[in-house]
Amino acid sequence: MDCRETRTLLNAFHDGELPAADRARVEEHLRGCPECGALLADLARADRAAGVPDPGPAYWDRFNARVMDRVEREADGPGVKVLRPKGGWMREQLRYLVPAAAAAALVLVIVHYGGLRPGTPTPATNPAVGDRAAPDSAGEPMAKAGPGPLVTEKPGGATAARRIQSPVLTEERSAAVPRVERDRLPARPSPAGNEEAPRERAPAAPAAAPSPPPMMSSKRSPDRQEWPGAGTGKVAAGSVAPPAGSPPVAAPEGTPPGMHAERMKMAGAADRVAEQQAAGKAKSASSPCDLARTLAEREQMRDAEAAQRACLAGDRNAPSREKGLVFLAELLDRQGRFSEADAVIAEIEKKYTQSRSLDLYLQQRPMVQKQPKAVPVTR
Amino acid sequence: MRADLEEAKDERLAALAAGGDRGAFEALVTRHRQAVYRLCWSATGNADDADDAAQETFVRVYRSLPSYDPGRPFGPWLRKIAWNCGLTVRRDGNAGVPRVAEGDAPEAVDPAPGPEEAAAGNEERRRMEDALAALPAELRMVMVLRAVEGLSYAEIALTAGIPAGTVMSRLSRARTRLLAALGGSS
Repeated sequence: MDCRETRTLLNAFHDGELPAADRARVEEHLRGCPECGALLADLARADRAAGVPDPGPAYWDRFNARVMDRVEREADGPGVKVLRPKGGWMREQLRYLVPAAAAAALVLVIVHYGGLRPGTPTPATNPAVGDRAAPDSAGEPMAKAGPGPLVTEKPGGATAARRIQSPVLTEERSAAVPRVERDRLPARPSPAGNEEAPRERAPAAPAAAPSPPPMMSSKRSPDRQEWPGAGTGKVAAGSVAPPAGSPPVAAPEGTPPGMHAERMKMAGAADRVAEQQAAGKAKSASSPCDLARTLAEREQMRDAEAAQRACLAGDRNAPSREKGLVFLAELLDRQGRFSEADAVIAEIEKKYTQSRSLDLYLQQRPMVQKQPKAVPVTR
Repeated sequence: MRADLEEAKDERLAALAAGGDRGAFEALVTRHRQAVYRLCWSATGNADDADDAAQETFVRVYRSLPSYDPGRPFGPWLRKIAWNCGLTVRRDGNAGVPRVAEGDAPEAVDPAPGPEEAAAGNEERRRMEDALAALPAELRMVMVLRAVEGLSYAEIALTAGIPAGTVMSRLSRARTRLLAALGGSS
Protein backbone atom coordinates (compact mmCIF):
# COMPACT_ATOMS: atom_id res chain seq x y z
CA MET A 1 0.00 0.00 0.00
CA ASP A 2 1.38 3.40 -0.96
CA CYS A 3 0.90 6.79 0.68
CA ARG A 4 -1.88 7.82 -1.67
CA GLU A 5 -4.02 4.80 -0.90
CA THR A 6 -3.23 5.01 2.79
CA ARG A 7 -4.40 8.59 2.98
CA THR A 8 -7.73 7.82 1.37
CA LEU A 9 -8.31 5.27 4.12
CA LEU A 10 -6.81 7.21 6.98
CA ASN A 11 -10.04 8.72 8.34
CA ALA A 12 -11.79 5.37 8.34
CA PHE A 13 -8.70 3.80 9.94
CA HIS A 14 -8.64 6.46 12.62
CA ASP A 15 -12.35 5.95 13.28
CA GLY A 16 -12.02 2.17 13.49
CA GLU A 17 -14.27 1.71 10.48
CA LEU A 18 -11.92 -0.26 8.22
CA PRO A 19 -12.31 -3.97 7.60
CA ALA A 20 -9.60 -6.05 9.28
CA ALA A 21 -7.67 -6.73 6.07
CA ASP A 22 -7.43 -3.06 5.11
CA ARG A 23 -6.61 -2.16 8.66
CA ALA A 24 -3.64 -4.50 8.68
CA ARG A 25 -2.35 -3.05 5.40
CA VAL A 26 -2.61 0.50 6.69
CA GLU A 27 -0.83 -0.43 9.91
CA GLU A 28 1.96 -2.01 7.92
CA HIS A 29 2.38 1.13 5.83
CA LEU A 30 2.33 3.38 8.89
CA ARG A 31 5.17 1.46 10.47
CA GLY A 32 7.49 2.62 7.70
CA CYS A 33 6.04 6.04 6.83
CA PRO A 34 6.41 8.86 9.36
CA GLU A 35 4.62 11.32 7.03
CA CYS A 36 1.42 9.31 7.05
CA GLY A 37 1.90 8.76 10.77
CA ALA A 38 1.96 12.52 11.26
CA LEU A 39 -1.26 12.85 9.31
CA LEU A 40 -2.86 10.26 11.55
CA ALA A 41 -1.79 12.25 14.60
CA ASP A 42 -3.35 15.33 13.01
CA LEU A 43 -6.71 13.58 12.82
CA ALA A 44 -6.60 13.00 16.56
CA ARG A 45 -5.70 16.65 17.06
CA ALA A 46 -8.70 17.72 14.99
CA ASP A 47 -10.95 15.52 17.10
CA ARG A 48 -9.73 17.21 20.24
CA ALA A 49 -10.86 20.52 18.76
CA ALA A 50 -14.39 19.22 18.46
CA GLY A 51 -15.20 19.74 22.11
CA VAL A 52 -18.50 21.50 22.57
CA PRO A 53 -18.37 24.20 25.27
CA ASP A 54 -20.26 23.02 28.33
CA PRO A 55 -22.80 25.50 29.69
CA GLY A 56 -21.88 24.71 33.28
CA PRO A 57 -23.58 23.30 36.37
CA ALA A 58 -25.86 26.28 36.94
CA TYR A 59 -27.38 25.72 33.52
CA TRP A 60 -27.91 22.03 34.12
CA ASP A 61 -29.43 22.71 37.53
CA ARG A 62 -32.28 24.55 35.84
CA PHE A 63 -32.53 22.46 32.72
CA ASN A 64 -34.85 19.68 33.96
CA ALA A 65 -37.20 22.10 35.68
CA ARG A 66 -37.57 24.13 32.49
CA VAL A 67 -38.31 21.03 30.44
CA MET A 68 -40.77 19.69 32.99
CA ASP A 69 -42.46 23.08 33.21
CA ARG A 70 -43.07 23.04 29.48
CA VAL A 71 -44.25 19.46 29.61
CA GLU A 72 -46.69 20.32 32.38
CA ARG A 73 -48.11 23.15 30.33
CA GLU A 74 -48.35 20.88 27.34
CA ALA A 75 -50.38 18.46 29.40
CA ASP A 76 -52.66 21.14 30.77
CA GLY A 77 -54.73 21.14 27.67
CA PRO A 78 -54.86 21.99 24.04
CA GLY A 79 -55.38 25.67 24.78
CA VAL A 80 -51.83 26.08 25.99
CA LYS A 81 -49.52 25.16 23.20
CA VAL A 82 -45.95 26.06 23.78
CA LEU A 83 -44.44 24.50 20.73
CA ARG A 84 -44.12 25.56 17.19
CA PRO A 85 -47.22 24.68 15.21
CA LYS A 86 -47.20 21.01 14.42
CA GLY A 87 -46.20 20.20 10.91
CA GLY A 88 -43.05 22.21 10.64
CA TRP A 89 -41.85 25.20 8.81
CA MET A 90 -43.10 24.40 5.33
CA ARG A 91 -46.62 23.67 6.45
CA GLU A 92 -46.54 26.89 8.39
CA GLN A 93 -45.58 28.73 5.23
CA LEU A 94 -48.25 27.05 3.14
CA ARG A 95 -50.87 27.72 5.76
CA TYR A 96 -50.60 31.41 5.05
CA LEU A 97 -49.24 31.46 1.55
CA VAL A 98 -52.21 29.61 0.08
CA PRO A 99 -54.85 32.13 1.20
CA ALA A 100 -52.46 34.97 0.41
CA ALA A 101 -51.95 33.63 -3.11
CA ALA A 102 -55.71 33.23 -3.49
CA ALA A 103 -56.17 36.83 -2.40
CA ALA A 104 -53.55 37.94 -4.88
CA ALA A 105 -55.28 36.01 -7.65
CA LEU A 106 -58.55 37.71 -6.74
CA VAL A 107 -56.89 41.09 -6.98
CA LEU A 108 -55.52 40.20 -10.38
CA VAL A 109 -58.90 39.09 -11.63
CA ILE A 110 -60.39 42.37 -10.47
CA VAL A 111 -57.59 44.33 -12.02
CA HIS A 112 -57.63 42.50 -15.35
CA TYR A 113 -61.33 42.10 -15.90
CA GLY A 114 -62.79 44.82 -13.75
CA GLY A 115 -61.03 47.57 -15.65
CA LEU A 116 -59.16 48.69 -12.56
CA ARG A 117 -55.80 49.21 -14.15
CA PRO A 118 -53.69 52.21 -13.36
CA GLY A 119 -54.98 55.08 -15.37
CA THR A 120 -57.92 53.13 -16.71
CA PRO A 121 -61.39 54.67 -16.50
CA THR A 122 -63.04 53.00 -13.57
CA PRO A 123 -66.64 51.92 -13.23
CA ALA A 124 -68.32 53.65 -10.35
CA THR A 125 -68.63 50.48 -8.31
CA ASN A 126 -65.11 49.20 -8.79
CA PRO A 127 -62.97 51.58 -6.78
CA ALA A 128 -64.59 50.51 -3.55
CA VAL A 129 -64.07 46.86 -4.32
CA GLY A 130 -60.61 47.33 -5.70
CA ASP A 131 -59.34 49.63 -3.02
CA ARG A 132 -60.38 47.39 -0.21
CA ALA A 133 -59.84 44.05 -1.77
CA ALA A 134 -56.07 44.11 -1.88
CA PRO A 135 -55.19 45.19 1.63
CA ASP A 136 -58.05 43.29 3.26
CA SER A 137 -57.62 39.98 1.57
CA ALA A 138 -53.88 40.06 1.70
CA GLY A 139 -53.84 41.52 5.16
CA GLU A 140 -56.06 38.97 6.81
CA PRO A 141 -53.69 36.05 6.60
CA MET A 142 -50.87 38.32 7.63
CA ALA A 143 -52.76 39.15 10.76
CA LYS A 144 -53.17 35.45 11.42
CA ALA A 145 -49.47 35.03 11.05
CA GLY A 146 -49.02 37.01 14.22
CA PRO A 147 -48.99 35.43 17.64
CA GLY A 148 -52.01 33.26 16.88
CA PRO A 149 -50.56 29.77 16.95
CA LEU A 150 -47.96 30.59 19.53
CA VAL A 151 -48.25 31.14 23.23
CA THR A 152 -45.02 32.13 24.83
CA GLU A 153 -44.45 30.34 28.04
CA LYS A 154 -41.26 31.68 29.49
CA PRO A 155 -39.03 34.65 29.19
CA GLY A 156 -37.16 32.84 26.46
CA GLY A 157 -40.44 32.03 24.78
CA ALA A 158 -40.73 35.50 23.41
CA THR A 159 -37.48 34.92 21.65
CA ALA A 160 -38.74 31.67 20.25
CA ALA A 161 -41.95 33.30 19.10
CA ARG A 162 -40.05 36.06 17.39
CA ARG A 163 -37.87 33.57 15.62
CA ILE A 164 -40.79 31.59 14.35
CA GLN A 165 -42.82 34.58 13.29
CA SER A 166 -40.08 36.33 11.48
CA PRO A 167 -39.66 34.03 8.49
CA VAL A 168 -43.41 33.58 8.21
CA LEU A 169 -44.04 37.26 7.99
CA THR A 170 -41.16 38.11 5.72
CA GLU A 171 -41.90 35.19 3.46
CA GLU A 172 -45.52 36.13 3.32
CA ARG A 173 -44.98 39.77 2.69
CA SER A 174 -42.61 39.05 -0.11
CA ALA A 175 -44.44 36.13 -1.59
CA ALA A 176 -48.08 37.05 -1.18
CA VAL A 177 -49.42 39.68 -3.50
CA PRO A 178 -46.44 41.20 -5.23
CA ARG A 179 -44.86 37.89 -6.20
CA VAL A 180 -47.93 36.69 -8.01
CA GLU A 181 -48.55 40.06 -9.54
CA ARG A 182 -45.03 40.27 -10.79
CA ASP A 183 -45.23 36.93 -12.50
CA ARG A 184 -48.56 37.64 -14.07
CA LEU A 185 -48.38 41.29 -14.91
CA PRO A 186 -47.78 42.37 -18.45
CA ALA A 187 -44.61 44.22 -19.15
CA ARG A 188 -44.15 47.29 -17.06
CA PRO A 189 -41.56 49.97 -17.21
CA SER A 190 -38.76 50.31 -14.74
CA PRO A 191 -39.61 51.70 -11.28
CA ALA A 192 -38.84 55.16 -12.49
CA GLY A 193 -41.25 54.59 -15.33
CA ASN A 194 -43.88 53.48 -12.89
CA GLU A 195 -43.85 56.81 -11.24
CA GLU A 196 -44.08 58.59 -14.53
CA ALA A 197 -46.90 56.52 -15.94
CA PRO A 198 -49.83 57.85 -13.89
CA ARG A 199 -48.90 61.42 -14.67
CA GLU A 200 -48.72 60.71 -18.34
CA ARG A 201 -51.98 58.87 -18.44
CA ALA A 202 -53.94 61.03 -16.09
CA PRO A 203 -55.31 63.37 -18.75
CA ALA A 204 -56.74 60.41 -20.61
CA ALA A 205 -59.00 59.48 -17.73
CA PRO A 206 -62.52 60.84 -18.00
CA ALA A 207 -63.11 63.72 -15.67
CA ALA A 208 -66.34 62.16 -14.40
CA ALA A 209 -64.52 59.17 -12.95
CA PRO A 210 -61.69 60.33 -10.71
CA SER A 211 -58.57 58.44 -11.53
CA PRO A 212 -57.96 55.83 -8.88
CA PRO A 213 -54.57 55.73 -7.26
CA PRO A 214 -52.19 53.48 -9.16
CA MET A 215 -53.09 50.50 -7.07
CA MET A 216 -50.37 48.18 -8.21
CA SER A 217 -47.54 50.58 -8.06
CA SER A 218 -48.59 52.11 -4.77
CA LYS A 219 -49.00 48.71 -3.19
CA ARG A 220 -45.94 47.18 -4.71
CA SER A 221 -43.52 49.85 -3.71
CA PRO A 222 -43.48 49.29 0.06
CA ASP A 223 -43.59 45.54 -0.37
CA ARG A 224 -40.74 45.42 -2.78
CA GLN A 225 -38.62 47.50 -0.48
CA GLU A 226 -38.76 44.70 2.04
CA TRP A 227 -37.39 42.09 -0.29
CA PRO A 228 -33.84 41.16 0.29
CA GLY A 229 -31.95 42.44 -2.67
CA ALA A 230 -34.85 44.55 -3.89
CA GLY A 231 -32.64 47.58 -3.66
CA THR A 232 -30.24 46.22 -6.21
CA GLY A 233 -31.27 47.56 -9.52
CA LYS A 234 -30.61 44.47 -11.53
CA VAL A 235 -32.83 42.26 -9.44
CA ALA A 236 -35.63 44.73 -9.02
CA ALA A 237 -35.87 45.68 -12.64
CA GLY A 238 -35.18 42.21 -13.87
CA SER A 239 -37.88 40.77 -11.73
CA VAL A 240 -40.49 43.27 -12.79
CA ALA A 241 -39.96 42.84 -16.46
CA PRO A 242 -41.28 39.66 -18.04
CA PRO A 243 -38.95 37.37 -19.93
CA ALA A 244 -37.76 38.83 -23.16
CA GLY A 245 -39.94 37.80 -26.02
CA SER A 246 -43.12 37.56 -24.01
CA PRO A 247 -46.17 37.63 -26.23
CA PRO A 248 -47.83 41.00 -26.50
CA VAL A 249 -50.71 41.53 -24.16
CA ALA A 250 -54.10 42.04 -25.68
CA ALA A 251 -55.88 45.25 -24.82
CA PRO A 252 -58.50 44.65 -22.16
CA GLU A 253 -62.01 45.46 -23.19
CA GLY A 254 -62.86 49.06 -22.62
CA THR A 255 -59.29 50.26 -22.82
CA PRO A 256 -58.93 53.19 -25.18
CA PRO A 257 -56.80 52.22 -28.20
CA GLY A 258 -54.34 55.02 -27.63
CA MET A 259 -53.76 53.94 -24.09
CA HIS A 260 -53.19 50.37 -25.12
CA ALA A 261 -50.67 51.49 -27.70
CA GLU A 262 -48.87 53.45 -25.03
CA ARG A 263 -48.87 50.47 -22.74
CA MET A 264 -47.50 48.28 -25.51
CA LYS A 265 -44.79 50.83 -26.12
CA MET A 266 -43.81 50.67 -22.49
CA ALA A 267 -43.93 46.90 -22.61
CA GLY A 268 -41.52 46.95 -25.49
CA ALA A 269 -39.18 49.17 -23.51
CA ALA A 270 -39.35 46.82 -20.56
CA ASP A 271 -38.58 43.91 -22.83
CA ARG A 272 -35.53 45.68 -24.13
CA VAL A 273 -34.40 46.42 -20.58
CA ALA A 274 -34.82 42.78 -19.70
CA GLU A 275 -32.91 41.74 -22.78
CA GLN A 276 -30.08 44.09 -22.00
CA GLN A 277 -29.88 42.91 -18.45
CA ALA A 278 -30.00 39.29 -19.47
CA ALA A 279 -27.32 39.94 -22.06
CA GLY A 280 -25.17 41.54 -19.42
CA LYS A 281 -25.15 38.43 -17.23
CA ALA A 282 -25.48 35.62 -19.70
CA LYS A 283 -24.63 35.84 -23.33
CA SER A 284 -27.96 34.36 -24.16
CA ALA A 285 -30.63 32.35 -22.47
CA SER A 286 -30.57 29.80 -25.25
CA SER A 287 -29.06 27.00 -23.14
CA PRO A 288 -30.91 25.61 -20.16
CA CYS A 289 -27.86 26.39 -18.02
CA ASP A 290 -28.07 30.09 -18.82
CA LEU A 291 -31.82 30.03 -18.54
CA ALA A 292 -31.57 28.55 -15.04
CA ARG A 293 -29.41 31.47 -13.89
CA THR A 294 -31.67 34.02 -15.49
CA LEU A 295 -34.80 32.52 -13.97
CA ALA A 296 -33.17 32.27 -10.56
CA GLU A 297 -32.30 35.93 -10.65
CA ARG A 298 -35.95 36.59 -11.40
CA GLU A 299 -36.79 34.46 -8.36
CA GLN A 300 -38.65 31.91 -10.46
CA MET A 301 -37.03 29.10 -8.55
CA ARG A 302 -39.19 26.23 -9.68
CA ASP A 303 -38.65 27.05 -13.34
CA ALA A 304 -34.97 27.64 -12.67
CA GLU A 305 -34.76 24.23 -11.03
CA ALA A 306 -36.32 22.58 -14.09
CA ALA A 307 -33.88 24.39 -16.36
CA GLN A 308 -30.95 23.47 -14.16
CA ARG A 309 -31.95 19.80 -14.19
CA ALA A 310 -32.13 19.98 -17.97
CA CYS A 311 -28.72 21.62 -17.96
CA LEU A 312 -27.26 18.84 -15.82
CA ALA A 313 -28.93 16.13 -17.90
CA GLY A 314 -27.53 17.64 -21.08
CA ASP A 315 -23.89 17.07 -20.30
CA ARG A 316 -23.09 14.55 -17.64
CA ASN A 317 -19.35 14.85 -17.94
CA ALA A 318 -18.98 18.57 -18.04
CA PRO A 319 -16.31 19.93 -15.72
CA SER A 320 -18.86 22.43 -14.47
CA ARG A 321 -21.18 19.68 -13.28
CA GLU A 322 -19.91 20.00 -9.73
CA LYS A 323 -20.90 23.66 -9.57
CA GLY A 324 -24.11 22.89 -11.40
CA LEU A 325 -25.13 20.42 -8.74
CA VAL A 326 -24.31 22.91 -6.01
CA PHE A 327 -26.51 25.43 -7.80
CA LEU A 328 -29.31 22.87 -7.98
CA ALA A 329 -29.01 22.32 -4.23
CA GLU A 330 -29.34 26.04 -3.69
CA LEU A 331 -32.43 26.23 -5.90
CA LEU A 332 -34.03 23.46 -3.84
CA ASP A 333 -33.12 25.21 -0.60
CA ARG A 334 -34.68 28.38 -1.90
CA GLN A 335 -37.93 26.50 -2.40
CA GLY A 336 -37.83 25.15 1.14
CA ARG A 337 -37.14 21.60 -0.13
CA PHE A 338 -34.33 21.04 2.30
CA SER A 339 -34.31 17.25 2.32
CA GLU A 340 -34.09 17.15 -1.48
CA ALA A 341 -31.24 19.63 -1.28
CA ASP A 342 -29.60 17.37 1.30
CA ALA A 343 -29.80 14.50 -1.17
CA VAL A 344 -28.14 16.58 -3.89
CA ILE A 345 -25.44 17.65 -1.46
CA ALA A 346 -24.86 14.02 -0.55
CA GLU A 347 -24.47 13.25 -4.25
CA ILE A 348 -21.92 16.03 -4.63
CA GLU A 349 -19.99 14.82 -1.62
CA LYS A 350 -19.94 11.33 -3.03
CA LYS A 351 -18.61 12.39 -6.43
CA TYR A 352 -16.39 15.29 -5.42
CA THR A 353 -14.90 14.47 -2.08
CA GLN A 354 -13.21 17.85 -1.57
CA SER A 355 -15.65 20.14 -3.34
CA ARG A 356 -14.65 23.72 -2.70
CA SER A 357 -17.86 24.96 -4.34
CA LEU A 358 -19.90 22.87 -1.94
CA ASP A 359 -17.95 24.06 1.08
CA LEU A 360 -18.52 27.65 0.07
CA TYR A 361 -22.21 27.03 -0.38
CA LEU A 362 -22.53 25.21 2.93
CA GLN A 363 -21.18 28.33 4.62
CA GLN A 364 -23.94 30.36 2.98
CA ARG A 365 -26.63 27.74 3.33
CA PRO A 366 -28.22 28.88 6.61
CA MET A 367 -28.72 32.34 5.18
CA VAL A 368 -30.12 30.93 1.94
CA GLN A 369 -32.61 28.84 3.86
CA LYS A 370 -33.70 31.83 5.88
CA GLN A 371 -33.82 34.29 3.00
CA PRO A 372 -34.89 32.29 -0.04
CA LYS A 373 -35.67 35.44 -2.02
CA ALA A 374 -32.15 36.79 -2.02
CA VAL A 375 -29.85 36.75 -5.01
CA PRO A 376 -28.39 33.29 -5.71
CA VAL A 377 -25.05 32.84 -4.05
CA THR A 378 -23.70 30.07 -6.23
CA ARG A 379 -22.51 30.72 -9.75
CA MET B 1 -34.43 10.24 41.28
CA ARG B 2 -36.13 7.04 42.28
CA ALA B 3 -33.78 4.13 42.67
CA ASP B 4 -35.79 1.91 40.37
CA LEU B 5 -35.40 4.42 37.57
CA GLU B 6 -31.66 4.79 37.81
CA GLU B 7 -31.03 1.25 36.70
CA ALA B 8 -33.80 1.01 34.14
CA LYS B 9 -32.97 0.92 30.45
CA ASP B 10 -33.96 3.83 28.24
CA GLU B 11 -36.63 1.83 26.51
CA ARG B 12 -38.24 0.88 29.82
CA LEU B 13 -38.17 4.49 31.00
CA ALA B 14 -39.72 5.62 27.74
CA ALA B 15 -42.51 3.09 28.12
CA LEU B 16 -43.17 4.28 31.68
CA ALA B 17 -43.08 7.90 30.59
CA ALA B 18 -45.52 7.19 27.78
CA GLY B 19 -47.84 5.85 30.46
CA GLY B 20 -47.69 9.14 32.34
CA ASP B 21 -44.79 8.55 34.71
CA ARG B 22 -43.18 11.98 34.89
CA GLY B 23 -40.35 10.70 37.03
CA ALA B 24 -39.38 8.25 34.32
CA PHE B 25 -39.42 11.01 31.75
CA GLU B 26 -37.25 13.26 33.89
CA ALA B 27 -34.81 10.38 34.32
CA LEU B 28 -34.51 10.22 30.55
CA VAL B 29 -33.93 13.96 30.41
CA THR B 30 -31.18 13.76 33.00
CA ARG B 31 -29.53 10.84 31.27
CA HIS B 32 -29.46 12.36 27.77
CA ARG B 33 -29.57 16.11 28.21
CA GLN B 34 -25.88 16.71 27.70
CA ALA B 35 -25.63 14.66 24.53
CA VAL B 36 -28.76 16.36 23.20
CA TYR B 37 -27.37 19.77 24.02
CA ARG B 38 -24.08 18.99 22.27
CA LEU B 39 -25.85 17.83 19.15
CA CYS B 40 -28.04 20.93 19.18
CA TRP B 41 -25.00 23.11 19.68
CA SER B 42 -23.35 21.45 16.73
CA ALA B 43 -26.39 22.27 14.60
CA THR B 44 -26.65 25.90 15.65
CA GLY B 45 -23.11 26.90 16.54
CA ASN B 46 -24.05 28.94 19.58
CA ALA B 47 -25.23 28.35 23.13
CA ASP B 48 -28.45 30.33 23.01
CA ASP B 49 -29.92 28.50 20.05
CA ALA B 50 -28.58 25.20 21.37
CA ASP B 51 -30.58 25.79 24.54
CA ASP B 52 -33.75 26.50 22.55
CA ALA B 53 -33.25 23.39 20.45
CA ALA B 54 -32.43 21.14 23.41
CA GLN B 55 -35.52 22.23 25.31
CA GLU B 56 -37.60 21.81 22.20
CA THR B 57 -36.17 18.34 21.67
CA PHE B 58 -37.34 17.04 25.02
CA VAL B 59 -40.77 18.55 24.73
CA ARG B 60 -41.12 16.92 21.32
CA VAL B 61 -39.89 13.66 22.74
CA TYR B 62 -42.53 13.84 25.44
CA ARG B 63 -45.22 14.60 22.93
CA SER B 64 -44.08 11.79 20.65
CA LEU B 65 -43.73 9.11 23.33
CA PRO B 66 -47.12 7.58 22.55
CA SER B 67 -45.83 6.74 19.06
CA TYR B 68 -42.48 5.40 20.28
CA ASP B 69 -41.98 1.65 19.97
CA PRO B 70 -40.12 0.39 23.09
CA GLY B 71 -38.95 -2.55 21.04
CA ARG B 72 -36.60 -0.26 19.14
CA PRO B 73 -33.57 1.46 20.64
CA PHE B 74 -34.29 4.80 22.25
CA GLY B 75 -30.96 6.52 21.50
CA PRO B 76 -31.24 6.77 17.71
CA TRP B 77 -34.86 7.86 18.01
CA LEU B 78 -33.91 10.63 20.41
CA ARG B 79 -30.92 11.73 18.31
CA LYS B 80 -33.07 12.00 15.21
CA ILE B 81 -35.46 14.32 17.02
CA ALA B 82 -32.57 16.39 18.39
CA TRP B 83 -31.01 16.58 14.94
CA ASN B 84 -34.23 17.87 13.42
CA CYS B 85 -34.84 20.35 16.24
CA GLY B 86 -31.30 21.66 15.87
CA LEU B 87 -31.73 22.21 12.15
CA THR B 88 -35.14 23.80 12.64
CA VAL B 89 -33.84 26.28 15.18
CA ARG B 90 -30.85 26.99 12.96
CA ARG B 91 -33.15 27.83 10.06
CA ASP B 92 -35.56 29.87 12.11
CA GLY B 93 -33.10 31.73 14.24
CA ASN B 94 -29.86 33.57 13.87
CA ALA B 95 -27.72 30.49 13.83
CA GLY B 96 -25.16 30.02 11.12
CA VAL B 97 -23.51 33.20 12.21
CA PRO B 98 -21.60 32.05 15.25
CA ARG B 99 -22.16 34.38 18.13
CA VAL B 100 -19.13 34.96 20.24
CA ALA B 101 -20.30 38.07 22.05
CA GLU B 102 -20.03 38.10 25.79
CA GLY B 103 -23.28 37.66 27.64
CA ASP B 104 -24.64 34.85 25.54
CA ALA B 105 -26.58 32.58 27.80
CA PRO B 106 -25.78 29.98 28.83
CA GLU B 107 -22.15 30.80 29.28
CA ALA B 108 -19.51 28.21 28.78
CA VAL B 109 -17.78 27.27 31.99
CA ASP B 110 -14.14 26.34 32.10
CA PRO B 111 -13.61 22.99 33.78
CA ALA B 112 -11.58 24.34 36.68
CA PRO B 113 -8.18 24.92 35.10
CA GLY B 114 -5.15 25.33 37.29
CA PRO B 115 -3.90 28.90 37.69
CA GLU B 116 -0.65 28.38 35.78
CA GLU B 117 -2.33 26.85 32.78
CA ALA B 118 -5.44 28.96 32.80
CA ALA B 119 -4.29 31.63 30.36
CA ALA B 120 -2.75 29.34 27.75
CA GLY B 121 -5.46 26.73 28.17
CA ASN B 122 -8.26 29.24 27.75
CA GLU B 123 -6.67 30.69 24.68
CA GLU B 124 -6.20 27.29 23.09
CA ARG B 125 -9.73 26.23 23.99
CA ARG B 126 -11.16 29.43 22.56
CA ARG B 127 -9.31 28.87 19.31
CA MET B 128 -10.69 25.37 19.09
CA GLU B 129 -14.23 26.52 19.82
CA ASP B 130 -13.99 29.24 17.20
CA ALA B 131 -12.64 26.79 14.65
CA LEU B 132 -15.45 24.37 15.36
CA ALA B 133 -18.09 27.11 15.30
CA ALA B 134 -16.79 28.29 11.93
CA LEU B 135 -17.46 24.94 10.28
CA PRO B 136 -20.59 24.55 8.17
CA ALA B 137 -23.25 22.92 10.33
CA GLU B 138 -23.40 19.85 8.11
CA LEU B 139 -19.74 19.15 8.83
CA ARG B 140 -19.83 20.22 12.46
CA MET B 141 -22.75 17.96 13.36
CA VAL B 142 -21.10 14.90 11.91
CA MET B 143 -17.83 15.84 13.58
CA VAL B 144 -19.40 16.16 17.02
CA LEU B 145 -21.33 12.91 16.69
CA ARG B 146 -18.11 11.10 15.83
CA ALA B 147 -15.42 12.82 17.86
CA VAL B 148 -17.45 13.69 20.96
CA GLU B 149 -20.24 11.14 21.10
CA GLY B 150 -18.18 8.34 19.59
CA LEU B 151 -20.89 7.14 17.22
CA SER B 152 -20.07 4.81 14.35
CA TYR B 153 -20.47 5.85 10.72
CA ALA B 154 -23.62 3.75 10.53
CA GLU B 155 -25.13 5.41 13.60
CA ILE B 156 -24.30 8.87 12.29
CA ALA B 157 -25.71 7.97 8.89
CA LEU B 158 -28.93 6.86 10.54
CA THR B 159 -29.21 10.09 12.54
CA ALA B 160 -28.37 12.37 9.63
CA GLY B 161 -30.23 10.43 6.96
CA ILE B 162 -27.16 10.29 4.71
CA PRO B 163 -25.06 7.40 3.36
CA ALA B 164 -22.13 6.16 5.45
CA GLY B 165 -19.75 7.15 2.65
CA THR B 166 -20.97 10.71 2.97
CA VAL B 167 -20.32 10.57 6.70
CA MET B 168 -16.70 9.67 5.98
CA SER B 169 -16.22 12.42 3.40
CA ARG B 170 -17.78 14.99 5.72
CA LEU B 171 -15.52 13.91 8.56
CA SER B 172 -12.52 14.17 6.29
CA ARG B 173 -13.44 17.68 5.21
CA ALA B 174 -14.31 18.75 8.74
CA ARG B 175 -10.95 17.58 10.07
CA THR B 176 -9.07 19.20 7.20
CA ARG B 177 -10.76 22.50 7.87
CA LEU B 178 -10.31 22.31 11.61
CA LEU B 179 -6.62 21.64 11.22
CA ALA B 180 -6.29 24.51 8.76
CA ALA B 181 -8.01 26.83 11.23
CA LEU B 182 -5.78 25.64 14.04
CA GLY B 183 -2.65 26.07 12.00
CA GLY B 184 -2.02 22.42 11.33
CA SER B 185 -1.76 20.43 8.14
CA SER B 186 -3.26 17.25 6.85
